[in-house]
Amino acid sequence: MQIQLSQLMPIPLQDKLRQRSSDIWNQEVTFQPGKFVKIKAPSGTGKTTLIHYLYHIRYDYTGKVQVNGQPWQAYNKNEVAAMRQRDISIVFQDLRLFEQLSARENISLKRVMEPKPYYPAEKIDEMAARLNVSHVLEQSGKTLSYGERQRIAIIRALMQPFRWLLMDEPFSHLDEDNTQRAAALIADECKARNAGFILTDLDNDQHFPYDVHYHL
Amino acid sequence: MRPFFELLKKIIQTGVGKTRFLMAAVGLGIAMLLILIAIQAHSNFSQLLYSSKNQNETADFLVINKTITNAMMGQSSKSIFTPEEIATIKKQPFVQSFGLVTSSQYKVVVQAPGDLHFATDMFFEAVPDSFLDVKAQDWKWNEGDRTIPIILPNDFLNLYNFGFSLSQDLPQISQETVKALPLQVNISNNQLSDQYMGHIVGFSDRISSFLVPASFMAWANEKYGMTTAAGTSRVIIKTPDPSNPALVKFLEDNGYTTNQDKLKFSKTRLIVQTIVSVVGFFGLILLFFALLVFSMFIQLVIASCKWEIQLLVILGTAPKQLQRYLLKQFVPLYIVIGILSLLLVTGLQYWAAGELARHDMQVSTWPGIPVFAGIALVLGLVYIVNLLTVRKYVNNI
Repeated sequence: MQIQLSQLMPIPLQDKLRQRSSDIWNQEVTFQPGKFVKIKAPSGTGKTTLIHYLYHIRYDYTGKVQVNGQPWQAYNKNEVAAMRQRDISIVFQDLRLFEQLSARENISLKRVMEPKPYYPAEKIDEMAARLNVSHVLEQSGKTLSYGERQRIAIIRALMQPFRWLLMDEPFSHLDEDNTQRAAALIADECKARNAGFILTDLDNDQHFPYDVHYHL
Repeated sequence: MRPFFELLKKIIQTGVGKTRFLMAAVGLGIAMLLILIAIQAHSNFSQLLYSSKNQNETADFLVINKTITNAMMGQSSKSIFTPEEIATIKKQPFVQSFGLVTSSQYKVVVQAPGDLHFATDMFFEAVPDSFLDVKAQDWKWNEGDRTIPIILPNDFLNLYNFGFSLSQDLPQISQETVKALPLQVNISNNQLSDQYMGHIVGFSDRISSFLVPASFMAWANEKYGMTTAAGTSRVIIKTPDPSNPALVKFLEDNGYTTNQDKLKFSKTRLIVQTIVSVVGFFGLILLFFALLVFSMFIQLVIASCKWEIQLLVILGTAPKQLQRYLLKQFVPLYIVIGILSLLLVTGLQYWAAGELARHDMQVSTWPGIPVFAGIALVLGLVYIVNLLTVRKYVNNI
């Protein structure tokens, strides 16, 4: 699955962004399938906005985001939903867990959203063990710390099949050790699926063997 | 789908405003019950009227004439049906067949034979044979026959036997005797006078008149007629249902009259029909409000879980999945309501059939197909309204 950006420009930021050069904004960019993509961006340059455009939950831009050769707007809501269940997964910066569900239920939600789950239920425990969050699985989303929430959100994103994984500062609340564990898990899962990811962060890092670097 | 819906149940709280929802459900139940009762009462009534099990054969013959009012007295032409009026009567949907009653345009005097010393001025009328309730072999007349078959009204013989003969000290006569009596019939106009033999061949309950075969009437009017054809002042119709309110209204509107006894059921029927319609109407109104409350409830649920539903959609839940989940929360209740109302109506019908059977009125023990069609229709309507509401609000989120 190919993602192409064509002259993409966020309307609220366009005056500011025209003042500086960018590898992404107002350029022709193609994300090749299976590549590990790092987008480095200082604060306020539209990092989260870009992820939201790629995931099609914000629409205030000029230019085009094309998925499989079609702009997002060409897909109807049910088609978009099907792609989010099978082709594109996401780790939000603000994590977005349901507080009324336990950690395990939050993860299960993405596992059983598709009639035929990609992974069996045991996979949740396996991944939770790798990220050191087994002990919080039964806790309600409300009582989790940010670091725990972030790891639950990562596991949730890995429960489904995908061709692309979008991550917005996925390790911002994790210490070095937990970041290494999470990055290893993400890399394994992407390789198992032959999938690529697009990761945005503030700084340079060595968590993954990135194929492509962009500067936003 | 199951485990996903279980998670959705924890996320989308349908408990908000539950009392209102349950009250709307009760309203739907009552509405459904009223509609079904109206439908079933209507079909019961039709069964009582038309079913062959209820022997009162309803097809009937009505002799119709214009009402004689004071203003019309002395102007016999005003009681005559014009060709347009006749055409209008023929066109009415409740007229199965139509015939003219032809009256004689000559003088008739009938004498009893021998020493009975009985003679009376009379008249004849004729109707098409198909309208007669007397089937007699002798009911035919060909030109040249000296014997005229005659049908008397049953009432006439009764009047004689129980009114006249007793007061005049005359013998009562049986139908057989009357049929055996050879009558002398004098037919005349101002120039001609001829004698014929009259032969009573039967007695009619249907038409209160002295009837002769139409063939004789045509011939005699031609030969002895004193006036030019006077026109028709009485017509006879066959109608499948004399209590049809449309028929009664038609007669009233045009100032026609007929044997009122045959129409009296019509009023009862009109009242019952009105009551049934009013019940059905209230059912429909109630259904409308129930639907309104359901739509508002669905809107409320979706609005109160707007953030959750948005996040679900962002995470990849298809609007179709949400719609199916939401409908699944409501539709089983509707089906239960439908089944409950059906059971209630079945019970009522069973009871009503038993009660009516005691009065020799047969209706079916079980609700008819229209009731099932009614349930299907109401449930279908409720489902469609729910589906449209859910779809509208889910897609708007």
